Amino acid sequence: LRLWPCRCRPLLSRPAAALRERRGLAAGPEMHFGFQTVTEEERREKIYQVFESVAEKYDVMNDSMTLGIHRVWKDILMHKMNPSPGTLLLDVAGGTGDIAFRFINYVRSVRERQLQRKLKHHQNLSWQEIFESYQKDKFNSLGDSQVVVCDINREMLKVGKQKAQHLGYSEGLSWVLGNAEELPFDDDKFDVYTIAFGIRNVTRIDLALQEAYRVLKPGGRFLCLEFSHVSNPLLSRLYDLYSFQVIPVLGEVIAGDWKSYQYLVESIRQFPPQEELKAMIEDAGFFKVDYENLNFGIVAIHSGFKL
Amino acid sequence: VRCQHHPPLRALQASAALRRASDEHKKEPLTSSSQQHFDSPPAGHQPEQEPQGPRSSYTGQGGQESEDYESEEQLQHRILTAALEFVPEHGWTAEAIAEGAKTLGLSVAAAGMFHSDGSELVLHFVSECNTKLSKLLEKEQKLVQLGEAEKKPIDKFLRDAVEARLRMLIPYIEKWPQALSVLLLPRNIPSSLNLLSSMIDNIWHYAGDQSTDFNWYTRRAVLTGIYNTTELVMMQDSSPDFEDTWRFLENRVADAMTMSNTASQVQSTGEAVVQGLMGAAVTVSNAETSRAESR
Repeated sequence: LRLWPCRCRPLLSRPAAALRERRGLAAGPEMHFGFQTVTEEERREKIYQVFESVAEKYDVMNDSMTLGIHRVWKDILMHKMNPSPGTLLLDVAGGTGDIAFRFINYVRSVRERQLQRKLKHHQNLSWQEIFESYQKDKFNSLGDSQVVVCDINREMLKVGKQKAQHLGYSEGLSWVLGNAEELPFDDDKFDVYTIAFGIRNVTRIDLALQEAYRVLKPGGRFLCLEFSHVSNPLLSRLYDLYSFQVIPVLGEVIAGDWKSYQYLVESIRQFPPQEELKAMIEDAGFFKVDYENLNFGIVAIHSGFKL
Repeated sequence: VRCQHHPPLRALQASAALRRASDEHKKEPLTSSSQQHFDSPPAGHQPEQEPQGPRSSYTGQGGQESEDYESEEQLQHRILTAALEFVPEHGWTAEAIAEGAKTLGLSVAAAGMFHSDGSELVLHFVSECNTKLSKLLEKEQKLVQLGEAEKKPIDKFLRDAVEARLRMLIPYIEKWPQALSVLLLPRNIPSSLNLLSSMIDNIWHYAGDQSTDFNWYTRRAVLTGIYNTTELVMMQDSSPDFEDTWRFLENRVADAMTMSNTASQVQSTGEAVVQGLMGAAVTVSNAETSRAESR
């Protein structure tokens, strides 16, 4: 009788724990922070501190680490999204607002083209009617599109708001403090949910995906832009060399923060590869899930629909 | 946390199993409801079907959570059909697809499932038109078989079939040139050629063509030429009810008929000439032989 409880417990806990750890779920006290092992609470704490300290130099570091290519990646994400005016976007972990600003620019230009086309059709209007249509559409340059930037980190949001003011973005933009694992929004609210270079830092990825599913409208789209795994062996070695030798040094020189950038590089290695992330997204209930590799897998865009 | 996993799994299994069932039977009788429910289906649906294994397709599962239990393809078809209504205004573009998705109660982001150049929309429309034409020709054939209508002569049959098919373009005639250019994109050429040739094939089949020789190819090539040229004429036709187009069509079909008559006439004339020559040769050789014998 005494042997019975002792024998059962290890049998039950090991495979489940291994499975959960692989899938980024909380496995009791064990989690990864870069290459270290920490508890769930510690991980959240550490990640918050990382972004608190890099917030000011975030954009500069992005440019220097990726040699400016991150702008191209974000542009490609926007083209893939191809939002039409009237789209409601939720940008999670959107911190300094890169995706949000691109969204606004894109929607504005689509809207302009729409208005031009409408005017071309109305060749027979009187001057009065043309004047009135200009008036009406001038105050609707975004076509009712809106973007909500949600981030867990106050410092990143602060930097984002400053940037918005500096660049002149005011319309259709809101900033919300929130946790990707527990979003402060109602169900079925948004047309598109994006998370660019943020899901890697989420402690419970499955919860974040479930929340994404919850807040999207039926037919809504989930888009995730994230560093991923390079399969080409030669490129993988060069990439590793660059990541571990160059990036932390740049971090120290530009931002005065070696450890945060060491964490960054390590967290990329710990993140699940393309197929695994695709399976996790499907588990959350999304359909037509697929991914597109950019730069041979250095970065991947995963897309899924709530159908 | 654990119980949150169950509803999606159960729904996927149910809908995947149901999709198998709907593939086996022709049409599910539950498709008439127009309400869109994207939550888990009602419990206890077809529990006797064994759960399907995980699909290994690149684009994920093929099931969908809705009361109609349609697959992704069926949903995409519905979105494209709904989008056709907006084509006269927006053209064959992703915007029309987005508007179509909106009318079905889906988010505009659902248009992201399709290509941004509207290819799928045009191909879907062409395929639907071909299906409609098939049904029309089949109905006419049944009437003829039942003796309620007379069998049309070949040229009238072809004229009517092409006219019926081209009339389906009339609501979208403004934006049809754009659609033609989309169909000619290299990526779409295999599909568009396939659709075109199967439509022409269909028309000849209902016209009663049973040839198994080279005629099969010539007939299809000729009709394809007639169809394409008439379509182009229709683009620039501004006459009332496209009278000029139908007259052009009538002339082309008549030309084709004459050409085939001429071809058979040429063939028989050629045969006659050859026989004449053969006869002359035989006569000459007989004359030579008799002269040789008489010497």
